[in-house]
This record gives sequence, structure tokens and C-alpha cells, in this order.
Amino acid sequence: MTEHTALYVYALLPDRPDAADGVTGIDGRPLRLVRVPGTSVAALVHDAAPTPLEGGDDQVRRWVEEQSRAVDTVWERTGSVLPMTFNVLVAAEPSPEPSPEDGTAAGTAAGTPVGRSAEQRLTEWVTEQAADIGGQLEGLAGRCELRVDITVDRTAATAGGTGGAAEGAPEGGPDGLSPGMRRLMEKQREHRARATAGQLADTLHAETRQRLLAVAEDYRDRGPTHRVAGETDVLCAALLVRREDIDAVGAVLTDLRARQPAVRVRFLGPWPPYSFIDTAHRARAEEMAP
Amino acid sequence: MTADLSPMRPTRDPRVTLDDLLEVVLNKGAVLHLDLIVAVADIPLIGVSLRAAIAGMETMLEYGMMRHWDEDTRAWAERSTARRALDLEEDENVVCRMSGGHLLTESLYHGWRPGTVYLTDRRLVVLRDEPREILWETGLDAVTAVRLEPERTVGGEERLRLDVALADGGQERLSAREPGELHALLTEACAGRPTPALPFAFRSPAEEDPPLAEGHLWYHEPRRGGPLWRGGQGRMTADRLVWKSPVDSRPALVLPLADITAVRRVPAYSPAGEDGLIAVHTTAGDEVRLAADDPAAWTERLRAAGAATGPVAAGPVAAAG
Repeated sequence: MTEHTALYVYALLPDRPDAADGVTGIDGRPLRLVRVPGTSVAALVHDAAPTPLEGGDDQVRRWVEEQSRAVDTVWERTGSVLPMTFNVLVAAEPSPEPSPEDGTAAGTAAGTPVGRSAEQRLTEWVTEQAADIGGQLEGLAGRCELRVDITVDRTAATAGGTGGAAEGAPEGGPDGLSPGMRRLMEKQREHRARATAGQLADTLHAETRQRLLAVAEDYRDRGPTHRVAGETDVLCAALLVRREDIDAVGAVLTDLRARQPAVRVRFLGPWPPYSFIDTAHRARAEEMAP
Repeated sequence: MTADLSPMRPTRDPRVTLDDLLEVVLNKGAVLHLDLIVAVADIPLIGVSLRAAIAGMETMLEYGMMRHWDEDTRAWAERSTARRALDLEEDENVVCRMSGGHLLTESLYHGWRPGTVYLTDRRLVVLRDEPREILWETGLDAVTAVRLEPERTVGGEERLRLDVALADGGQERLSAREPGELHALLTEACAGRPTPALPFAFRSPAEEDPPLAEGHLWYHEPRRGGPLWRGGQGRMTADRLVWKSPVDSRPALVLPLADITAVRRVPAYSPAGEDGLIAVHTTAGDEVRLAADDPAAWTERLRAAGAATGPVAAGPVAAAG
């Protein structure tokens, strides 16, 4: 049951004989390259049992980190990779049933009742897709993914702003404000702070997006991810940039921070271009969704 | 904070980036050809890749409970898709969701546009699923009355429709799979809100600035590799023009009307046809290119608004400020 008849695939990359030397992956397993004759593509794999990885959150976190570290190392060496998502396994083809309807299915014309090995299947698949894969590897060479996450701190953004009237109202007494009315006014004040921050966020988003688009070769709006109380999302994007342009992106962010002290910026990367892999296959997967 | 003006450097420190990394690795990356994955006998890997494709951050949170994923994945994916269908604001919750539609009456096209009706604790929204677009929405605080009205359909059937009266005097008609239920929930949701009669309007002027014009616009978005025509929604208020694509989380263009120096029609190709292109010149010396199916109307509005707030020139030549 624990036979290593499958391949866990980390990435496809330009075939460089030493690319996987000394690299370890999930659970410290040594990685190797499956080279695909007749193409310039290789796959980074470890030999695995034909069962997907399952585990608790912390364990999955650790695995993902290990997987990503391995892909990073190889990416640094080859300058281009097509990373796989988590848990991509290619299993050996099961041995044909004793009396299969279509005797040729297993592709073992010689008559040996054995299915193709995982390595054969992977190699055949890469060979079939070689032109597409090679094109993508070439297109992404020298490029990396950066992630930019911008929010505004509502308190800082609206300080001295519209909140004054409600706060300045005298306690109880002359105005006879009931607790309910007071609560309502407090809600209104908060509502206004959100609206003001939202307008500021719109403006900052438009101008920052435009400046980032002038540098990046590709751009994916990711929608907000990190929700922090008291902050309003401005922009959250993955950028595909040439390595030499990383500083140009940094300069845009530095400038924004200098002009708008209320903004909070997270700037992550550089990573292999996970978000910019041609999604043709994914689209097909989604078509299959229930 | 010190004013360090050297370019910010991105970080790869796993203590900072791990959650993002998880999301990116679980969500993205090439997926082997589907046929091959499905062909991996006895390993329902399709479950994993579907989950990864749909999930977002929820994926890794739920990975810990993967024991039964084979049967649960489909149900879970469906829920997840529904949750992602409407972009909720912070603290906003969906009260109910059902198929339905909005009766469009304000433009040349008059008719039902089908989609999904969402009632949240803040808004009533009709969302078209594909391509995703908000067909119509209102804040609950703008709803003054709701009633059910019978309507005879083309097929002769009688159906209940939901009429919604709004604070601005407008009235909209919605269809819904369960009109009675929607009516009850909507009435309840509105009842909990302050009425317009209160001395303090719940709406803030900043947020509810009424649009002077609103409608579909193309925006020629400048990019490193050359500008790209994108479709989206234009909205002009008293002080600015905002353009937003349905796939972006915020507007890609916010143009203060006071910055407009000239608006002119350009006879050139645009997705709206040969004469749909509008060039807006700004005080910064930029030219913003838009395209509209009704370019004359947009040009007039922009000129009028610009003239009221800024140094706009009606002619093809930009006037000096």
C-alpha cells in the first residue's frame, strides 16, 4: 500500500540537469527531475504513495511552506517555473482488468498486462503539451510575482474630519438626547467615517492602480483578504513584474506612504508567478464543477 | 515613522507571508490536464483541485477536516460559490438569496433582466450571474415601502411581483422565486432601520451623493503593454466621474470634474463603434479615453459638469485654466 508508485509533482521547469540537486521537498523528501526526452522541459517530483496528502491545518501549512521553498530554490536556479498547486499526484495506471472491453486501452500492445508507470504518463503528458509549456516558461522567464496589499486606517484617515458634530454634542441635559438617540448618532458617525474612508480608498485605488499598471506586465485584482478592524481596503493585487522592476513597484508604494500617512502597505514576494500561469486547464476544471 | 524614501522592499519572511503563500499555493499554479487527473484511478484528485480552485483562504482552514472530503467537497464548493457571488461589505450579512430579476424601465430597453436577488442586512441587490454584474441595488435605508403586486405574464399566468418604493420617489419592480418570503423578510429588515422622519438622516451625504448620470462606459485603461478597453459602469456625481469594472474591487478611474479642461468626441475606433469615443483632457495634461453607446449624452453631461466646476472648454481645443 505504501509503495511509491506515484509522483508528487511540484513544478515544470526548463530542463537543467543540476536544477534539483540537493533540494528537498515535503517532509524533507529528496526531489528529482523527470526529464522529458525531445523537449526542453523537466518536472520536479518526489516519489510518492498514490494517496493525496491529508492532515490538520498546521501540518498542511508546513507542507505548503516546504513545497514552496523547494519551488523557490529551483526557480532561482532556472529563472522560470510553472508551479503546481498543492497535492498534484500522478499515479501509475492501474493494471487492466482481466477482460477489458477495449484491449488496447492500457497502451501495452506487447501484451504485458501492466499499465503505464506514473513516469510514463507524466512524460507523455508533457510531450503532448510541450509547445504550450515551453512557451509559458519562456514568457515567464525573468518575471516574478509580487503582492501588494493596501488599506487605510479609518481613524487616521478621518481624524479632524466629519466626526466633530456628533462628538461635540453636550452630554444629556439641554439637548435631552436619549441613550437611543445617542447610540444612533454614534452609529451615524461611524457610518460617515466609513463613507469618508471609502471615498479616499476609491481615489487612492485609482491612482495607485494606474501607477502599478505602468510598471507591471500583468495584474490581478484579488479582492480583499486581510480584514483588520478599523481599516478599509484600498487595493489588493498580484503583479507580474520583471525582476529589475521590483524597485519601481517599491518606489510607487514608498511615495504613496509618504503622501498618505493613513495608508498601511504590505508588500510581499518575490515569488514564482503562481497567479499568472495560463489558466486554461483550470477553466476546464471549473466547467466540471457541479 | 521616518521619512525613508528609498523604495520599499518586498518581504518573503514566512512569518509575514505564510497565509498569503498558502492561499497562493492552494489556489493557483498550473493544474495538470484534467483528463490525466481524472484518470488517476481511485484517487479522486478532482476533489482537491476543485476545492483549491474555488476556495480562497477557507481552503486551508478546512483542510484540517478533509477526512470526508470526497462526499463533502461538492456540497462545500456549492456553498463557497454562493458565498462569493456577491461582494459583501464589512459586517454585511446575507439575509436571503433566491433567483429572480429586475424590471428595467429607464432606458431604451424595457424588460426583465434575470439574476439572483440578494437581501442583506443593508442592501437589496439583483445580481446577474454571468457575466457577473449588479443589475440593480438599493440600500435598505432608501426603501420607503414594499408591496406585492400581481402581474400577468406573457404566458397568461398570474405572478406576484415585488414593488419597492424608494426615498427618491422612484419605484422598482422585482421578480423572485418566493415573492412572499422576500416581501416578509424585506419588510422586517427595513422595519429595524431608522425611518427618514428622524431628525438625523442615516445616510451620509458623502456616500449617497446622487448620481447625475450613470451607465455602461468603456474605459481605455493605460497599461505598460499599451492601453486596454475595459467595460464597466460610469457614475458621475456633482464633483467627480468614477468608473468601475465589475471584476475590480474599487474604481480604476476617479476623475474630479474640476480637473476637466476639455471634452471632445474623437472619430476613431472604440468598442462602442466608430463614433462612440470621448476624450477627456485634464489639468494634469492627461487624456482619458472613454467610449459610450450614447456618446453625445455623456459628452454633454461632462462638459456641463466640468463647466460648472472647472475650466472646461466645449471645443476641441483645451482652454487655459
